[in-house]
Amino acid sequence: MTDAAQISAGEGRKISPRARRGGLKAGESRFGLLLLLPAVAAFCLVVLKPFIEALALSFYRFTIEMSEPRWTGLDNYRRILTDELMLGSFVTTAIFVSAATFFSIALGLAWAILLNQPFRGRDTLRGLSLLPWVMPAVVASFLWGWIFNSRYGLLNAAALELGMIDFPVAWLSTSAGAMTAVVVTKVWLSIPLFMSFFLAGLASMDREQLEAARVDGAGNFRVIKDHILPHLRPVMLVTVVLGMIGNLQHFDTIWALTGGGPVRATSVLSVEVYRRAFEQWDLGMAATLGVLWLFTIMPPAYFYLRQLMKGAE
Amino acid sequence: MSHYRKIAMGCAAALAIGSATHAIAQDVEFMTWTYAESSGEAMIQGMIDSFEGGSVEPQGYAWGEMTRNALLRARTNSLPDVMQVQARLLPTVANIEQMVDLNTVFDREMLEAMFAPGFLAYGEVDGRQMALPWIGGTIGMVANENVLETAGISEIPTTVEEFREALVLIRDTIPNSVPYGLATTNNNSIVLDYLIWVWTHGGDVIVDGEPMVNSAESIAALQFMVDLVAERLAAPEIDRPDARRLFGQEAMGFYFDAPSARRFAIEFSGDEDYAQYVQPMMTPVMAEGDEPVSIQWGHVIAMLNSENADAESAAAQFMLHLLSDDQLLPYTANGGTIPSTASGQADEGFQSDEYRAAWAANSGTPRRNTIASLSNGALVADIIGEEVQAAILGQKSAEEAANDMQARLIEAMANAE
Repeated sequence: MTDAAQISAGEGRKISPRARRGGLKAGESRFGLLLLLPAVAAFCLVVLKPFIEALALSFYRFTIEMSEPRWTGLDNYRRILTDELMLGSFVTTAIFVSAATFFSIALGLAWAILLNQPFRGRDTLRGLSLLPWVMPAVVASFLWGWIFNSRYGLLNAAALELGMIDFPVAWLSTSAGAMTAVVVTKVWLSIPLFMSFFLAGLASMDREQLEAARVDGAGNFRVIKDHILPHLRPVMLVTVVLGMIGNLQHFDTIWALTGGGPVRATSVLSVEVYRRAFEQWDLGMAATLGVLWLFTIMPPAYFYLRQLMKGAE
Repeated sequence: MSHYRKIAMGCAAALAIGSATHAIAQDVEFMTWTYAESSGEAMIQGMIDSFEGGSVEPQGYAWGEMTRNALLRARTNSLPDVMQVQARLLPTVANIEQMVDLNTVFDREMLEAMFAPGFLAYGEVDGRQMALPWIGGTIGMVANENVLETAGISEIPTTVEEFREALVLIRDTIPNSVPYGLATTNNNSIVLDYLIWVWTHGGDVIVDGEPMVNSAESIAALQFMVDLVAERLAAPEIDRPDARRLFGQEAMGFYFDAPSARRFAIEFSGDEDYAQYVQPMMTPVMAEGDEPVSIQWGHVIAMLNSENADAESAAAQFMLHLLSDDQLLPYTANGGTIPSTASGQADEGFQSDEYRAAWAANSGTPRRNTIASLSNGALVADIIGEEVQAAILGQKSAEEAANDMQARLIEAMANAE
């Protein structure tokens, strides 16, 4: 065993037996940096430059009929922060993110616990459970759109057949109905992903611990509350943050299902940015909204990265 | 092989692929939504195949994506040479710097002789000829005669009162029907129906550049639309495509559409002979003697990129090819639309087409879509659509919605450039 393979100072962690004292040679360092260069260039070109441009544009008025953007300082921010309808988009986003994240995690966890039990056909069911995840989001939106459709929808057909309603109900034409529909669709798409996270977490759980709890007389609720949930806490933390980030960024199913309506009932920030940029062609305002949207994503993203770094240490 | 040599070879391969892609460019790139529709693809392909002035690459986009893609392509300097444009959206598209003023390409006198009176204006923006008119017509009302017969309606309604009575008959006779396909979703569709009903009630949306949507007439029009939905004579969640489908499936009696309504009725009924039941009609009026209204409608073709700005260029020749009688007459006959050219309208086949003649006769007084020509027309359409929807869905009274609409429009127009 080489010296380098010895216990590293202070923390008791082993380092690679191939590691060289004194680090890389200068030539190797340069080549390492060279290999990094395409990724850095791509990041600068695809992420950093557009972001800086959008940030700069947020201080300008720039609509389609203008040949050049005009400096307006913080006026776009003032207009957004004093516009009740715009502020309503932040509230709508909060409702969507909270509901979609909560139900995705609750149902994903329930499904994972169910699929963690030994029973015949479990593997097949696990495989089938991934179907919504592999389905393109827009296809899923149209599928759910047809279920909720007032004229041809499955929901109305069933309700009419059972005598629960006298006339077809336009589910997507009420604020609550439209929000429910977009949340249901997003949850349906997200369950497989969260289920996979939780299944991986459950795989490392000590079965004997659960059996001992059962012997001590713990029921299902106590087992979940006192044993499964504490065990899954790190996974839960990451899934909540990931879920929030994903739902804050979410656009496609909402746009395909309701277009942000009726009126503005499902007009979350992503939809609002799209409408400003590509329907109303108010690029300055769209950039401003985009910057504010980014600030809403930053806290959970920071929290997620911190958890990742902690895990890596 | 050194690391540096590998990188150099990778770059060379990427360059080679880029060059090869560039080498297969066509003489004319034609951006069109009709090509993306199953009912129009063969017609456009036929027009392209018969063009002898060069090779043409059709670039099909969905109708709703055309303007967006044109503006995005303008930013990356990858615009096509020729582009199909919805006439009412031309003021927006004309903001693209690479659009060619066709007065600099074609002789003005030749253009004036070529097109039927009034049609050349479809392609004008601020005194410049930004496009040539291709097909025209109006957004007007159509009735399904089969549905009317089933409901026991013997005559096409001419007044709003008769229209409402006919709708009640359809509702009570045909289960789960939507008697009238009032557009209640998609702001761009809602605006068209709203404009027509406001005009019909004697009001207007914009007067001398100022919004007038909370006048007594405009509120009455909005209340009329609200009542139709409340009484199940119209339905929420209806956009133009839904109306076309329900109309062809005999679950709808009336709706507003372009002359291409006939083509959609055939497609959705699955019956090649269904055209006989599609009856163009005048928009019902408040009182006998009032002038029925409709909205000007049409498709135009625009030229992009200054290198095409020559009457002998392949792009210019392709535009003229699309407008030649040989191409235009079958195209308009198939779509049930009106050719823009004087020779096309003088054609015997066109003049003997009962449907198109009836459409023209029932257009009443077509008016220009005043919303579309505003510089911030998309924002104005969104405001109108949202407030109309709020009233229709019962979130606000018609008066509240009209007042909110007025306040929002005043602010939007004050902020316009």
